[in-house]
Amino acid sequence: MHYSILLFFLIVAVISISVFVYVFLTSKQSDNNTTGMANPLQKRFWFILILLVILGIFASVTIPKSPYYLFADEQPKAVVHVAAMQFNFFMSDSAIDPKMPKGEDSITFNTNELVEFRVTSLDVNHGFAIYNASNKLIAQTQAMPGYVNRLRFKFKEPGTYHIFCLEYCGMAHQLMRTTFTVK
Amino acid sequence: MTSRLKKITSLWITTVLLLFVISIILGITMRFNQAEVIRLSPITFYTDMTVHGLTMIGIWFVAGMAAVNFIMERYVKTSKFVNILALVLTVVGVLMFWASTFIGKFHAGWTFLYPLPFKVMWSAWATPLFLYSLAVLAVGWLIWCISLIAAMLKKYSITQVFAWQYFKKGPKEETPPFILISMITLVGIVTCLITAIVLVVLLFAEYYSKGTFVNDALLMKNLTYFFGHAIANEMLYLGLAVIYEMFAEISGRPKWKTTWYVSLAWNCTLFFILTAFFHHLYMDFVQPEGLQILGQLASYLASLPAAGVTVFSIVVAVYRTKINWTLANLLFFIGVMGWVVGGLGAVIDATISNNFVLHNTLWVPAHFHTYNAMGNVLFSLGFFYWFSVNFSNSRHSEKLSALKLFLLIVGGIGFLAAFYIGGADSIPRRYSNYPAEFVHAKTLALIGGVFASIYLIGILIFFVNITRRCVKILFSQSA
Repeated sequence: MHYSILLFFLIVAVISISVFVYVFLTSKQSDNNTTGMANPLQKRFWFILILLVILGIFASVTIPKSPYYLFADEQPKAVVHVAAMQFNFFMSDSAIDPKMPKGEDSITFNTNELVEFRVTSLDVNHGFAIYNASNKLIAQTQAMPGYVNRLRFKFKEPGTYHIFCLEYCGMAHQLMRTTFTVK
Repeated sequence: MTSRLKKITSLWITTVLLLFVISIILGITMRFNQAEVIRLSPITFYTDMTVHGLTMIGIWFVAGMAAVNFIMERYVKTSKFVNILALVLTVVGVLMFWASTFIGKFHAGWTFLYPLPFKVMWSAWATPLFLYSLAVLAVGWLIWCISLIAAMLKKYSITQVFAWQYFKKGPKEETPPFILISMITLVGIVTCLITAIVLVVLLFAEYYSKGTFVNDALLMKNLTYFFGHAIANEMLYLGLAVIYEMFAEISGRPKWKTTWYVSLAWNCTLFFILTAFFHHLYMDFVQPEGLQILGQLASYLASLPAAGVTVFSIVVAVYRTKINWTLANLLFFIGVMGWVVGGLGAVIDATISNNFVLHNTLWVPAHFHTYNAMGNVLFSLGFFYWFSVNFSNSRHSEKLSALKLFLLIVGGIGFLAAFYIGGADSIPRRYSNYPAEFVHAKTLALIGGVFASIYLIGILIFFVNITRRCVKILFSQSA
């Protein structure tokens, strides 16, 4: 569970809802003599400025953490070719022939080694989503026909990792999965 | 206000509410199937999913358009013929679409992401019929939008209709906020509908070329999400145009006026909304990085005019101000709150590093159901309620108001909470059945289905009351 994201959302949502409820209650208690908000233009200016600063900070902190920059300066220790096809994943150390796709029976990595997944699709769009042993989504990319997406990742914990398809691809989408091992 | 326009608007409202009830039932059926309370085949589930998605997008788009068309008649003369034509083409388009799905079993999802429509897992005729249904809907809606834009341009100059005169000192002419927002929104909608038509033409080109022409998957994905993102957001802005016009009026307050910052905010919105769609392609690492960053920045910046101008204006209008609260303006107010909360969920997901672990999990339906089911739907319901009470000479029936709001809010919160928790728990979206690894998925689906049923009861009460009044308007001698 990505508790931090959920918690952050809950906090900002509750604050926002509280503001609305408070504003509504001030209206219910008002009569013809009450005079709305003082200096609304000035307050609006400060509100937008503060929001802009907060968003600026968020953007500058989060953008460098984007997956495109993950381990971009390092050489991968292992390269895995992934070909997705309704409703299977083929994974192999060597390039996969699109006409006769075949994958390895099992794929194993070492902990903390840099792995590069070269992900494509042989038919429709699919998702390539990696779940750790506690079934938490830790990394993903799309498998798109005609393109290869390169996903780099280091697995810190040993165990069995699951791959699920996260892009709707037809009637057996929910069954499309595979695994690999980290030792 | 002509009685013909009232009758057409009544027909729109009745059609939208009827299709809404059917679509909610399909949604609840999906959640109960995921909870394994009922058992559908995956094909039936994904067919329901496709119908649920596209019908919902379609009806809340036309609901906003019908409301905007009705109010626009206060300022300019609009074409009743085009309004009826749009209604006829919408009904024909929906029936064709339903035939392709319910009978032909087409189930490529409402986003029909290329090349899935061509990997036929359904009746072969269902794919072209689906594409033709899209063409009928897109052409009908495009004619409607262009007709409304033309009606505004007959009265207002380009400078006036975009409210650019407010950037100079002492503007001589006024632009009502409703006209400005309608124009900005309609231009955005025209852009996205033209994209939809290009998309359909490219799909037809491949379909009829029998393999000699193949589309580029990345280009098609960009076009699909440009269209999908824009229409899903622009329909919210149609609702906001209605709020800018009606909130003060219903509340017994002076009419809102356009100022330089309102003009600036809405002009910026047009740009941001047309570039934010890149956030749908964050997980396509082959997309140029510059566009990915632009997607995050545009998504963030889109929240500034929304929060700083529209939301702040609602807060200023209500704070310590005596308001005639009715069900209509309460729905507007709660709808803005739902829009804000959904927007927060959207901004979180539009952050690339979060999207890495949230993309295509239940977080996605969580946030868009928040600003639709608890935002846009309430904007339109507020208008429907006001319209039906005002023009049917009914006595105000506020008896069930508290109950209706209670059912919508409690049902809405419970149903959305199940989605948000599921998203944070990495549960995938669009799964007919959950693999055993997702231990909480079935329970959350059950909770979501039960609370969505409570929401449905609230909507059914609205449906019965509003439709009854609309039928009265439809058959009245002088509405």
